[in-house]
Amino acid sequence: MKILIVDDFSTMRRIIKNLLRDLGFTNTVEADDGTTALPILQAGTIDFLVTDWNMPGMTGIELLRAVRADDKLKTIPVLMVTAEAKRDQIISAAQAGVNGYVVKPFTAVALKEKIEKIFERIDAGK
Amino acid sequence: MPDKSSSSLDDFEATLKNGAVDLLNCIEVGNYSNAIQIIQELSDARHKSFYNEVGNLTRSLHNAIKEFKVDSVDVELTGTDEPENGSKITDASDRLNYVVEMTSNAANKTMDMVDSSVPVASELQKQAKELRKDWGRLIQRDLSPEEFRQLYKRIDVFLSYADDSATTLHTNLNTILLEQGYQDLTGQVITKVNSLIRDVEEKLVHLVAVAGRIDSISGIEHDLSLKEEDDTRGHGPAIKNDNNPEVLNSQDEVDDLLSSLGF
Repeated sequence: MKILIVDDFSTMRRIIKNLLRDLGFTNTVEADDGTTALPILQAGTIDFLVTDWNMPGMTGIELLRAVRADDKLKTIPVLMVTAEAKRDQIISAAQAGVNGYVVKPFTAVALKEKIEKIFERIDAGK
Repeated sequence: MPDKSSSSLDDFEATLKNGAVDLLNCIEVGNYSNAIQIIQELSDARHKSFYNEVGNLTRSLHNAIKEFKVDSVDVELTGTDEPENGSKITDASDRLNYVVEMTSNAANKTMDMVDSSVPVASELQKQAKELRKDWGRLIQRDLSPEEFRQLYKRIDVFLSYADDSATTLHTNLNTILLEQGYQDLTGQVITKVNSLIRDVEEKLVHLVAVAGRIDSISGIEHDLSLKEEDDTRGHGPAIKNDNNPEVLNSQDEVDDLLSSLGF
């Protein structure tokens, strides 16, 4: 299980990386916005995407839409971890096909819960 | 029709009111030549008042801009090409960059300390668990003399490791504590920048007020409709959002919304 973490702040990437490691996901790669994330995704080894919303260049919602519009990538589960908490934004993320939405500041428990829920769904869908 | 030299809009309005009454009276009694005369005088008064007001406004505007001495505004209006060294806004921007840098350093240093503490705690736990198992057997008198001698040595090693580990953890915790000093320093910087922003806002409000008077005598109307906010770019963390029903305040609210959407 290889996870791509996309956030423009290196400290936030590090926090998420450490939390994921505690959950047993040790294979992670990082990108600082959608523009740098897409080529990594297109290389084809990523199984799970964790992305922020508000980033310079390509934002998280644009990245999500790009992923869902790409035939090779569209099935990758996407978890948004973001400070964006407007009702409309959450609705548009849901419409764009997000699999989970965690608002910052978040707890280790919340992150764990959402990731587990996403995997449960994927397993149930198989 | 008194030809007032006063320039205020109020005076012009009074003149206009009186003139209108006189004009009506003249028309009612059929004195059209006087009526035309009054219209002419009102028109002159309007021009005069307009030019005086423009003069006043130009002076106010100039003063307001002079007060609003910041960055590019200043450079542009004075027409000098020399860069304004150490302007307040540039300074504030540098200070905020310093805050970003400092908070990032503190966060990284803290995470370094956590990263170096976690394996120490794990190792301590692992060794203690193993010892406890054998210690339990000792209490149950279930140890061979050879195993007892081994345990004896291992306890010595463990105690020394526990001592060293506690020292390491203590040092790391202290480093984490000291790193929190960034809050004091960045807090001071942010308070300073905040007061600058208030100052600039006050001056801007003054400028806007002057501009508003220009609009009122020239009859310019602005399109005040609010620009639709673009959600795609993101807004950053919501602050003081208790009063905004459009912003959700917790993960629970987000979960509720998502589940109402069938998630």
